[in-house]
Amino acid sequence: MKPAVILVGADKGGVGKTTVSRALLDYLAANNILTRAFDTEFPRGTLKRFHGPITEVVDIGETSDQMRILDTLNSAQIKVSVIDTRAGALGATLRALRDVGFLEAVKAGEFSFTLLHVLGSSIASLDEIAETAPFIDDANYFLVKNHINATTFFEWDPVTNRKYFDRVNPAGEIIVPKLDEMAYEQVEIAGVPFSTFVANKTAEGDPANSSFVLRGYVRTWQAKIAEELRRVRLLDILAQRD
Amino acid sequence: MLPGRDWRGPGDPPDNAEPARPPRSYVYICCAPHGRVGVSTTARLLSDYFIASRRGFVGFDADPHEPDYAPRFSGRVRNVDLSSTQGQIAMIDRLLVPDGEAKIVDLWSRSYDRFFTLIQDIGFVEEARGKNIEPVILFHADPSQASPSAAYTLANALPTVETLLTYNEGAAPFGEQLQDRLAVYPPHRRLKIGALDTLVGRALEPVDLSLSYFLLDPPLDMSLVVRAGLKSWLIPIFAQFRAFEMRRALEEATWLL
Repeated sequence: MKPAVILVGADKGGVGKTTVSRALLDYLAANNILTRAFDTEFPRGTLKRFHGPITEVVDIGETSDQMRILDTLNSAQIKVSVIDTRAGALGATLRALRDVGFLEAVKAGEFSFTLLHVLGSSIASLDEIAETAPFIDDANYFLVKNHINATTFFEWDPVTNRKYFDRVNPAGEIIVPKLDEMAYEQVEIAGVPFSTFVANKTAEGDPANSSFVLRGYVRTWQAKIAEELRRVRLLDILAQRD
Repeated sequence: MLPGRDWRGPGDPPDNAEPARPPRSYVYICCAPHGRVGVSTTARLLSDYFIASRRGFVGFDADPHEPDYAPRFSGRVRNVDLSSTQGQIAMIDRLLVPDGEAKIVDLWSRSYDRFFTLIQDIGFVEEARGKNIEPVILFHADPSQASPSAAYTLANALPTVETLLTYNEGAAPFGEQLQDRLAVYPPHRRLKIGALDTLVGRALEPVDLSLSYFLLDPPLDMSLVVRAGLKSWLIPIFAQFRAFEMRRALEEATWLL
């Protein structure tokens, strides 16, 4: 298996990038894929709060941190690295990856690169699709429609929809369904991965006392995301299976 | 403990005993996809049956607008709104407490789809069984064309949950073709709630009339005819509840094998 980088990003804030990263890390763990994660929300690190043991907070603009991520791709025993970009940093991260030669190495077949581009419901968010296009020639590029609210992503307006979505040729779309607000907030308070919340455990592994209804909402939501990731054959992509 | 000394009493488990399971609890879900077919009456009757047999129960009235069941058992029955997550938590998390007490749900017809979709989505039945809690559905039949297909949809969705086809001859009368009409439903066991004479039925209306206390000590200011009518209506219903419980107890009695 080639080292694989999955970049989860968007320039627009509040579209649920970290939520998608958290769901992705749970999915990979559930499928026995050892993964390390990099949280570029420097220095705070929201992802690290939930997936602390496998997450490092990095400043993607710093050369030393770029080295921490990319120079260890070949040497690390863990072959899948998830990078959760902070708001506004998708373009900068892609440029940094290009400038340090990572995209060239992907083109040469040294690494596998998957970009999960999380979309919001605004035109500004859709504009990012075109801005991202120059960087994704050799990437497995997925548009992620995160239904954090009742947004339709302009599907009701074919002209607007085509104007933005026809600019790129993504490997597919991933639909992240809406999670019940109260369930989401309870996981926030618990500060644990979604799978730990579903298992009714604390971060320390002790029994928790979370509502069965809320755990059920999260379990159902996770199952739907897992179905989406199976549909787009993410594991096959990571394993370079046809 | 000193060697050779055993401080256990006769009721204590032996060393190799399996961990004790929580006592079996039943969750009775009184429901129908349509309103005014006697669902609240059945919830009320079940509640009074448990009171009459000196057992506790916990009830939920899922009609947040015009609750009929909750006001009759204040303190024991809680009014919940299943359209909100808070209401779902208040009811479903409590249904899953393995305390051996019966739980009774009076499901509002407008919450019917939402509730059954929710419990399938969150794996309620599997979680309940893991805690020795057994859901039982009391599906209320009515003469509408849609009722049998709703019963089949529910039976297919929850095939392992025992369903009692409940028909209230007063609230949802089938008339002379009763047997033919019931035959188009899934082959569930049946529970019959008989029809009441109008005058006798009126005696049921006061919120403070307890059917369980009525059986023990009928109010003296009530007409003899009404008393006799109510009693002859209640006894076969309670007998059916008792028969259900006895059958389940026998089915669960491994020592009979």
